[in-house]
Amino acid sequence: MLFRMIRGVLFHQKGKMLLIAITIALGASLATGMLNVVMDVEDKVNKELKNYGANITVKPKDASLLSDIYDVGDGGALNAAYLREDELGKLKTIFWAFNIVDFTPFLDAQVTLPDGEGAKVVGTWFNHHLSLPTGEELDAGVQGMRSWWEITDGRWLNEADENADQEIMVGALLAERERWTVGESVKLGDRDMTIVGIYDAGGDEDDQIFATLDAVQAMTDREGKVASIEVSALTTPDNDLARRAAKNPAALTSRDYETWYCTAYVSAICYQIQEVITGSVASAVRQVAESEGTILDKTKLLMILITALSLIGSALGISNLVTASVMERAQEIGLLKAIGAKDRSITGVVMTEILITALIGFAAGYGMGFGFAQLIGQSVFGSAIEMNTKVIPVVAGLIALVTVAGSLPAIRMVLRLKPAEVLHGGH
Amino acid sequence: MTKRRMFLRMVTASLLRRRSRMLIALLSIGIGATILAGMVTIYYDVPRQMRAQMRSYGANMLLMPAEGETLDSERLSAALQKLPEEKLVGASPYRYVRLDMTSRQQSFTTAGTDFEQVQKTSPYFSVEGRYPEAPREILVGKEIAEMIGVKEGSSMELTWQPAAKDASGSAEDDRVPGATLSGSARGFGDAAVYVTATLDDEARIAELTIDASTQTPEYGGRTAEDALFLKQFIGKSLPLSMNEDVDVLSGATVTSTAVVEALNAATAADAAAKPKTTRYEVTGILVTGGEEEGYVFMSTDDLQTLTGEDRLDVAELSVSADEEQLNAYAEALTGDGVQARLVKRVTKSETAVLGKLQALVFLVTVVVLILTMICVSTTMMAVVSERRREIGLRKALGASDNSIRGEFLGEGMFLGLLGGALGAVLGFVFAQVVSVNVFNSSITFQPLLLPVTVLVSMLIAAASCLMPIKRAVAIDPAIVLKGE
Repeated sequence: MLFRMIRGVLFHQKGKMLLIAITIALGASLATGMLNVVMDVEDKVNKELKNYGANITVKPKDASLLSDIYDVGDGGALNAAYLREDELGKLKTIFWAFNIVDFTPFLDAQVTLPDGEGAKVVGTWFNHHLSLPTGEELDAGVQGMRSWWEITDGRWLNEADENADQEIMVGALLAERERWTVGESVKLGDRDMTIVGIYDAGGDEDDQIFATLDAVQAMTDREGKVASIEVSALTTPDNDLARRAAKNPAALTSRDYETWYCTAYVSAICYQIQEVITGSVASAVRQVAESEGTILDKTKLLMILITALSLIGSALGISNLVTASVMERAQEIGLLKAIGAKDRSITGVVMTEILITALIGFAAGYGMGFGFAQLIGQSVFGSAIEMNTKVIPVVAGLIALVTVAGSLPAIRMVLRLKPAEVLHGGH
Repeated sequence: MTKRRMFLRMVTASLLRRRSRMLIALLSIGIGATILAGMVTIYYDVPRQMRAQMRSYGANMLLMPAEGETLDSERLSAALQKLPEEKLVGASPYRYVRLDMTSRQQSFTTAGTDFEQVQKTSPYFSVEGRYPEAPREILVGKEIAEMIGVKEGSSMELTWQPAAKDASGSAEDDRVPGATLSGSARGFGDAAVYVTATLDDEARIAELTIDASTQTPEYGGRTAEDALFLKQFIGKSLPLSMNEDVDVLSGATVTSTAVVEALNAATAADAAAKPKTTRYEVTGILVTGGEEEGYVFMSTDDLQTLTGEDRLDVAELSVSADEEQLNAYAEALTGDGVQARLVKRVTKSETAVLGKLQALVFLVTVVVLILTMICVSTTMMAVVSERRREIGLRKALGASDNSIRGEFLGEGMFLGLLGGALGAVLGFVFAQVVSVNVFNSSITFQPLLLPVTVLVSMLIAAASCLMPIKRAVAIDPAIVLKGE
């Protein structure tokens, strides 16, 4: 009998139930979509923030200060410590290897230009192809880490080209001063180099020349050596533990140490880099690392609050509609009561009907929510939003709660009325 | 139960039920309007708020002297006048000089700046200790601090060595009547002792000042103050010889000898370019992870006192504006001996990241709004369909379709007006809560949003009434009144 009644409602009152199902589906899709976006937004925005360039710099332990302070730079006796180029691949073997997005080595040299002026030549990777022992392939270099460079003329230097080591890129200010153009050949030291591109970096680099690492190593007889490395890593915003650890990891309890080591704090990644690169000091570039934390925290909080608003909105919307639909059926309920149905069985029938409708709505809504999340992911970040399975029970629970909260008080209210009044159809 | 009581109960019940139905419709529209007003306000305000957050990346514009010009504090403040005050987050002047730390035979790049502004333009600077507040207080970069072993609270002596203006003159040639001569010599602990002497009409010493601040105060330091010691120099001609022309100050043999040596070596050029030493208190160690860790920072005033020059090398500006505006500002600021340049790394990246965030909030807003509006219409539809019997009854009593339609639409739009106004206020409150929680600042009220929210609510209410009414009106009253 119960089944027949429910079937009757579901099939004969299609219109009304469809309205409820649609509303629940919309609410569920909103909740699903927003919750998934919120859970993935930190990751996505973090990737966007990589635009600001390196957040970690790695330098040789002893010489880091001297060359900066004394401006000796070029092979002076003070700047005798280097890192090893062959160890760079190890950056992708640390615990948080997956979070290392890009990195590039640097080696500077001071050269005398044909007109007698001095200039700084920076040797680096542009789009260096690495095949790691882990089987991973990646392209690392400044092309990814200087996203703000504007190539005003020519092109990026391509390391895959046969004579890449005879090619250079020149900063806009230097090129203007020296009246250099793309394609021109310039004598740097005793080498002839061809200008392939002119860039506008909006900073000190506009006065510099960029060449391949190999070229500068050969120019200065420092084969296999690297003066510094810039690393761009995805990190978790610092908290109290991270700040304590950054001062002295040895002072942590073993449990704290483990938590810290296994969280992608910038200090933990720095520590792990120092473990694999011989004689290195890795430090967080606070300008980037600190700001990243702020932006990530704010974005996440903003999204959480917007999600909360839309969840509250859809919850109220659904329970509102459910209440309206129960009240609309006051006559039917009154009739059931008049022919002797018990309050409990009436409540059971009505609730089952509504919950079945809600289930159908939820299933459809989850599918739609998936679509919304992907729409947002693809159009904003150009990548898919990861669907979190944790969202399913949360949304299901929410819908169940909202439906019950919307229908139960309404059913109670209708039941309290006398059948005669209801059947009379008082408006 | 009497007939009259029954009637009364029916009427009250009906009124109650009717009121709750109205309340449901009103609530539904109110929720929709709240979300509309709240989301749109947030959407409009997020770029502004986020841009303020992005300023934590530091300066996005540099002011430099134009080719062949110099920058000073007056020119800087004149240039800053051209920027709208509310857009300027901070402006830090910088002057870089190399100062010697003679006791360690080191020299450091020292930046003279305005610490109050630095905290605005470079919020990522982390100071172990505190920022300098009083004169002669300095910050030391972490790398220097580690190298020379200074800590918060220690003090260090820095010397300004001006470039010699005319190095051609020799000590003998410069001893002419009326000349002012300066010189220095190594005293106790190999630290410098400075002297300045003014010669009279016959080229004899008329006035003498000794700077022995590097010497032990109780011993060598007394040479600068001891009246008897100083007096014996007056009226003598250079060069002097120790123990013949002047006697040593007891307990300060080394310093006394250094004074005489310094006088004998004193030249006019040195007088014009006399090195100055001051002792500074280290109030904090600066940690940035960048090249700033290799610098010493002091206030512009302190550096000016030391070097005697009002000169700036560059000013870092943090301006809250998008790239296009920044370019316009840079153009406006350039001229009058200064040129403005954008820090591409910061401006380009900010544009990229903000663009994404704005697109994110936009899409989220659109999706939420569409879904919410559909929710509102379904509820309105349900509420109106319930009244099919009433519509049928009115029709049976001879009401025209148009009058029924008009009445229901009017009612729907009235609900829309009420719910919309309510929602606009609640939405603003919500946006304000979000803004205060996320960005710690209050949101700007969009006055245009109030009529827009009300209008949209009315339209949606009317549109969602229309369909069920149309259906109800189209059906024969007899069927409607009969029930299903």
